[in-house]
Amino acid sequence: MKRKTVSLATALLLCLTSAVSFAAETIKIGALYPMSGRGGLYGQDSEAAIKIALAEVNAKGLPGGRKLEAIVTDDQSKPALAVTLAKRYITEDKVKFLYGVVSSGAALAVTEVSKEYKTIFVGSDHAATDLTANAFQKYYFRVSNNTYQSMAAGAMYMQETKMGGKIAYIGPDYAYGRDQIAELKYSLGKLGVKYEMVGEFWPKLYEPDYTSYITAIIKAKPDVLVSGFWGGDTVAFIKQAKAYGLFDKMKYFHPDGGGNYEVFSTLGAECPEGLIMSARHHNNWPDTKENKDFVQKFHKATGRYPSYAAEGAYAGILVIAEAIRKVGNADDTEALIKAMEGMKIKLPEDPAGFTSYIDPKTHQMAQAQAIGVTVKNDKFPPAKYALGNMKVYAADKIMPTQEYIDILTKSKKK
Amino acid sequence: MNNKLVTMAPWLAYFLIFGSLVFAGGDHTIHIASQVIILGLFAIAFNVLFGTTGLLSFGQAIFYGLGAYITGMMAKSFGGDFFVWALLIAPVAAITLSVLLGALSLRLSDVYFTMLTLAFAQLVWGICVKWSSFTGGDDGIQAIPKPELLAGGLNYYIFSFIIVTVCIYLLWRLDRSPFGAVLKGIRQNPTRISFIGLNVFRHKLLAYMISSGFTAVAGGLYAGIDKSIHPDMFVWTMSGSIILMTILGGMRSFFGPLIGVAIFILLEDVIGRSTQYWSFVIGAIMITVVLLFPKGVVGISRHFAGLFAKKGGQLDNP
Repeated sequence: MKRKTVSLATALLLCLTSAVSFAAETIKIGALYPMSGRGGLYGQDSEAAIKIALAEVNAKGLPGGRKLEAIVTDDQSKPALAVTLAKRYITEDKVKFLYGVVSSGAALAVTEVSKEYKTIFVGSDHAATDLTANAFQKYYFRVSNNTYQSMAAGAMYMQETKMGGKIAYIGPDYAYGRDQIAELKYSLGKLGVKYEMVGEFWPKLYEPDYTSYITAIIKAKPDVLVSGFWGGDTVAFIKQAKAYGLFDKMKYFHPDGGGNYEVFSTLGAECPEGLIMSARHHNNWPDTKENKDFVQKFHKATGRYPSYAAEGAYAGILVIAEAIRKVGNADDTEALIKAMEGMKIKLPEDPAGFTSYIDPKTHQMAQAQAIGVTVKNDKFPPAKYALGNMKVYAADKIMPTQEYIDILTKSKKK
Repeated sequence: MNNKLVTMAPWLAYFLIFGSLVFAGGDHTIHIASQVIILGLFAIAFNVLFGTTGLLSFGQAIFYGLGAYITGMMAKSFGGDFFVWALLIAPVAAITLSVLLGALSLRLSDVYFTMLTLAFAQLVWGICVKWSSFTGGDDGIQAIPKPELLAGGLNYYIFSFIIVTVCIYLLWRLDRSPFGAVLKGIRQNPTRISFIGLNVFRHKLLAYMISSGFTAVAGGLYAGIDKSIHPDMFVWTMSGSIILMTILGGMRSFFGPLIGVAIFILLEDVIGRSTQYWSFVIGAIMITVVLLFPKGVVGISRHFAGLFAKKGGQLDNP
């Protein structure tokens, strides 16, 4: 009898201790970002933003008193390495979520791992439309814009400001650059905007010298130069083109990545006025409390202002935390997916009166896109310019159409 | 008897380590082990040119990438059941291409040969990236199907282990054959080999073809690990890594390259967990090895074995 009591007590004690250790166990997120080289700033900004978001959601509390934790590893934007790390995250570190990834090539490889291991992958930075279209799988979610959304907004901007006429395009020679012009043409066609392509120019990614392209563009005499660069390439191109007076001869239109803070902070006073650009997040717009708080928190933590990568990385953590709160735990993947589908979440980049939401069908975050013109603004040093005169395009107007998804699926099916 | 034991010891270790993983390895270990044996085959095949024949090719990634793309694209178009057949077609295609490239580049010697192989590799990489409608361009190819039987990390590891072992055995026999002796002779003194009446160029070309064929098998196998492939596999840094791994392990030993690959990948995994600067550590180790132990890790162990055994010096020439 006595023995029974003892064993019962022991069993109870065991249960209790295991419950305690269970409660203390953190929910892990395995993040992959380039931390050095040309894309390094995207990774560093993302890591800083993840820390800010984690502090917020953990302070607010999660079901069972559990905490969210993120492991960040340098994937060098190499697909094979990203896959190895993603598999290690799942099998060794037991992460519940894969996260981040800047390179679309790496993301396309990681989404396969996510599918195979039935682990949710929250993409925060890569823009290839494929991931929420032809390469879509249900464990994948993207919390930042894809190129289609930027280009659809771009086409509407062109229609609104009567910017048709002769168009030339320059963009990096890989999927990201190629998709943008295809998507812009598609959207222009849908809107019935008349234009004539007078040239497409394909420098390789990280090209150091654009002189030959710049002279060729000037010779083609377009009314509008559409640009599909990102990061340091934008900076290098603008600097070189300015020396040739390119911006006096035509409008410069850069709807996806042109207006990134990284570009303004690097160009400083050298930034030309009147460039028409956009980005996935702006430090000076919208003028909401959420955005101001986010930008200030980031500045306080790092001593610099965030590039758009930061906001995407910040957003994903909020989404994950919200899903866990809804479901009550982080173990029921299927329930988490259901919770994320259609989820509404207020983000720094949301203009007043709008809340970002996840499209339940494609798992793409629907967000408004604002396009503006470079004007003097020294509130976010070292940048001397920022975007102003913003025109805003509603989220539901710029989501990829089923027709476009079908076209993409058909053209990329091999 | 004792001598036989010495020659068989590496094989024993090979089966003991990679065989036991089948029963003891966790998911991640199996994934890492698959990479080690597959890249190990690549490195050993590369060493037929480098360590044995004395030809430093900076373009073996061509055949690695080619193997991966042929296997991946064929499996993708004809279905998962075709995967194994594609693995057989890959080396045939690689050997055909190697005859062409070899005929053009092997007539040059030393650094000119190296430069030309590098140029070819960049050319093929360029085609792979630019021809995006056919190859998937920079995004690579994902969701490569495999037969049901090979699904799952462990099954695929066993499959790869069998194929790699057969390939390594064939290369090992080759290394110890008269043909292998001629290749070593070419490395040491090509003029003398031609004086014996042997055709140096033809032997080099054969070595190049063999190396390329086995490299393509490695590439094809890789297409099945992650089920995704990328133009990165063609880039010169891929060839460069294999050269580094081979030197790290020891290019004068048959199993040296495999040891180099294992060390490299393990370091990447272990150090990569704690710091983003793991390549710095690898670099430091490389400099130490090259400066102090030019015969690689195998050289180091032989050096210490030599201190204990009286006939240590003899071990230096396998």
